[in-house]
Amino acid sequence: MSHTMRAISGMIVIAGAWFLQGCAAPEPSQDLLAPTEAQMKLRSFQSRTFDVKDRQLAMRGVIAVLQDLGFIIERANEPLGLVTAARFAEPNFYDVLGVTVTVRQQQEGRMLIRANAIYNNKPIEDPKVYQNFFAALERSLFIAKE
Amino acid sequence: MGRLTPDIGKTACRSAEARVFAVALGLGLSLLLQGCPTPYEWRHQDQWDSREQIWLSEESQVKLRAAQSRVFDSTDRRRTLEVIVDTMQDLGFMVEVLDEELGIVSGKRFEPLERPNIGTDPYYHLYDDQSLLIFTKSYLTWGPFWHRSDLVRLTITVRKRNETQLVVRASAQFYLRAVEDPEPYQKFFRTLEQALFLRAQTVE
Repeated sequence: MSHTMRAISGMIVIAGAWFLQGCAAPEPSQDLLAPTEAQMKLRSFQSRTFDVKDRQLAMRGVIAVLQDLGFIIERANEPLGLVTAARFAEPNFYDVLGVTVTVRQQQEGRMLIRANAIYNNKPIEDPKVYQNFFAALERSLFIAKE
Repeated sequence: MGRLTPDIGKTACRSAEARVFAVALGLGLSLLLQGCPTPYEWRHQDQWDSREQIWLSEESQVKLRAAQSRVFDSTDRRRTLEVIVDTMQDLGFMVEVLDEELGIVSGKRFEPLERPNIGTDPYYHLYDDQSLLIFTKSYLTWGPFWHRSDLVRLTITVRKRNETQLVVRASAQFYLRAVEDPEPYQKFFRTLEQALFLRAQTVE
């Protein structure tokens, strides 16, 4: 076989392989709906209990703190204790920051509040962010109780 | 004469090779230019007709339903919904729809997937001070419906089966298609069972 023919057949093989790998859509992984180790660890940073008896008061506190932080409330469901909110993030305001907060009645007089936040497409894993959020929430609940 | 013939044969063979080469080159170029330039884009299909979506399902409906549904020995619908929301938070989903009366929870999550390696990924520039929305192959939106290639959507429904049981059904969508593999659902229900402290049974 001449050099040209060899080069052509080589090109066809490469083009064929490229073509085939390009057209296959990725298959969902088996663990698509399974929790990962990192997610379970994150859960403890994301949850905190507060000494609040009234669930509605806790919801109001959550909404107020989200407003304080510049979020726009997207949905709030009082009976099931869910608030979701989003905002554009500093400095350029084209990144999106989304947050989901749930409020659950624990034993008498305690309220479990859990927040999880995503930045564009990635969950926020820095515990400091959640600490700041809960510190602001604590202040907000304190004001609401007054 | 006798010496000339092999030369003519060689020349003819070379011109034939050159023609094959030109055709191959032409074919390759036209393939590249026809608007399918990168493998990344090949993986995205345009679905202009919503009926295409419905017909995409490949598994039998009954089999799919069985894989997606589980029965729980509980009548506490509210607690079940609350635990579903918690489980979705554990999995990193953002809850978008929650309706107690209808028993629906829906959420979304982004999977880390490949990105085009040439240029910037325009979906990050959803909104800046100079422009409005940018529509690209990896970010499409029509009113409330929008799609991104790395988007996973999950809808869970809870309904009463009889006086003592509830049926929970989960359906997920990944890369525009319904997830029909039973394995991800099994893993989801295992997590939900642990959160509910209840054993799930398959629907018969």
